[in-house]
Amino acid sequence: MDPILTTNILNVVYEVSTLAVVVLGLAVVFGLLGVMNLAHGEFVMIGAYCAFFVQAQNLPFLAAVPLALLVCAVLGLVVERLLVRPLYARPFDTLLATWGLSMLLREAVEAVYGRAFRSVATPLTGSVDVFGADYPSYRLLLTVVSIALVAGLVWWFVRSATGRRIRAVVNNPELAGSVGIPVTGLARNTFVFGCCLAALAGVMLAPLLPVNPTLGLDFILKSFFVLVVGGLGSLVGLISGSGVIGGVESVVSAFLDRTYGYTTVLIIAILFLWLRPNGLFPRT
Amino acid sequence: MTGNSGGPLFSFSGVTGGYGATTVVRSVGGEVSAGEACCVLGRNGVGKTTLMRLLTGHLPLQSGSVSFDGQPLDGLPPDRRHALGLIYCPQERPVFDNLSVRENLTLMAPAIDEGRYAAFFAAFPILESRMTQSAGTLSGGERKILSFVRAVAESGQLLLLDEPSEGVQQENVERMAGFLHEAKAAGRALLIVEQNLAFALGIADRVIVMDHGEVVLAGAAADMTEETLAAHMHV
Repeated sequence: MDPILTTNILNVVYEVSTLAVVVLGLAVVFGLLGVMNLAHGEFVMIGAYCAFFVQAQNLPFLAAVPLALLVCAVLGLVVERLLVRPLYARPFDTLLATWGLSMLLREAVEAVYGRAFRSVATPLTGSVDVFGADYPSYRLLLTVVSIALVAGLVWWFVRSATGRRIRAVVNNPELAGSVGIPVTGLARNTFVFGCCLAALAGVMLAPLLPVNPTLGLDFILKSFFVLVVGGLGSLVGLISGSGVIGGVESVVSAFLDRTYGYTTVLIIAILFLWLRPNGLFPRT
Repeated sequence: MTGNSGGPLFSFSGVTGGYGATTVVRSVGGEVSAGEACCVLGRNGVGKTTLMRLLTGHLPLQSGSVSFDGQPLDGLPPDRRHALGLIYCPQERPVFDNLSVRENLTLMAPAIDEGRYAAFFAAFPILESRMTQSAGTLSGGERKILSFVRAVAESGQLLLLDEPSEGVQQENVERMAGFLHEAKAAGRALLIVEQNLAFALGIADRVIVMDHGEVVLAGAAADMTEETLAAHMHV
């Protein structure tokens, strides 16, 4: 196969799978709590800064994983208790509150680290030969880990008792409480889980991104577009949305440039909002 | 059960509440003892379902109190009430449509307990034949049966059923009545909202008739004739 084509295909797969990890956290929280967490991207950003912090302390890169999970789990718990739960079933207020939170988190990180772009060294250097194409090892590893993560979570969601209970709450919250599902606790855990997933994505992506306080904005926008295109109903929608948005952006960016890639994604999102506001796989 | 020295298992008084600032149910009281059934009757829209939602913790009380086995339930969320032994079948959306019949029955149990459901499957073979089908594909009456079976098979001492017979075929309504008589005989307490007078009077020991969110008639079922009740329900 033509090495350039192979590289482009791998880039698309990389873009789609990493995007799916970020969106998964956002979508699970939306599905269960009806809360669109606009600070989701900031949890990605904090995860990335954890990677930077760990390297600055001369610790191994992998130490960033438990650190980011811990930081974002604690933060998620506090946010759920103080912001999300009191505003339960008030979607517009929740949007405003999490938007405010996202600004607060950006400013807080900026106060500590400033606006300068920080770079995180790639823990896995070099490249591997994939069908004749020379592809960076870390990107390949990241793609594999992302696909495994999304596949594992989907499997868990479909097969585990907790996954079944989450689906039950999404379908019929009132009945869920009455059959004995602790809805409040499940909602809290799900919110924290979503934050942790974002943090994990932040750590993984940190070596490939210019780490700065506004890093999360790009992710929340793209995640939002994914949900607009895919619809809020299902995992199929989420993955196909990630495919459309991540795929189109990386293809257009490869053949033209990133600005065109971004513009195309924006146009697709606007067309969907206009012509098919419930997305490809609407919630029934 | 701690066995609260012969008092009613479930009692509520002055129950007042509704949606937001709107009051739907005003100062409703009642009680059910172990081995007893209380039926709440009334026309559509008089607040029977709202009363059930207030008693099960799905709506906050504006005033009044609810107690189970002598303990006040104030502010307890539905799952905690379930853990104490309040088992509730709502009128609308009584099952999880997106889960299979089996998943509906085993959601809170690790594996299906054949002994627990055997008698129900014998009475309602349709359920066993639809085990792997999603509950959303069942008819309205079949969903009611699934919800009924899920609830009655649980071990909680108090069953709160909101129109269990709605849309259910007559022969299956009779089977439901049979299970409810067994539940009473086993010492469980029942609070049932019903439109089907014959079904209600076949089970009830006490009757509460509601109109405009208030109790207009209450007493022992034996003292009520079907004519008296019908008169109160249709005025």
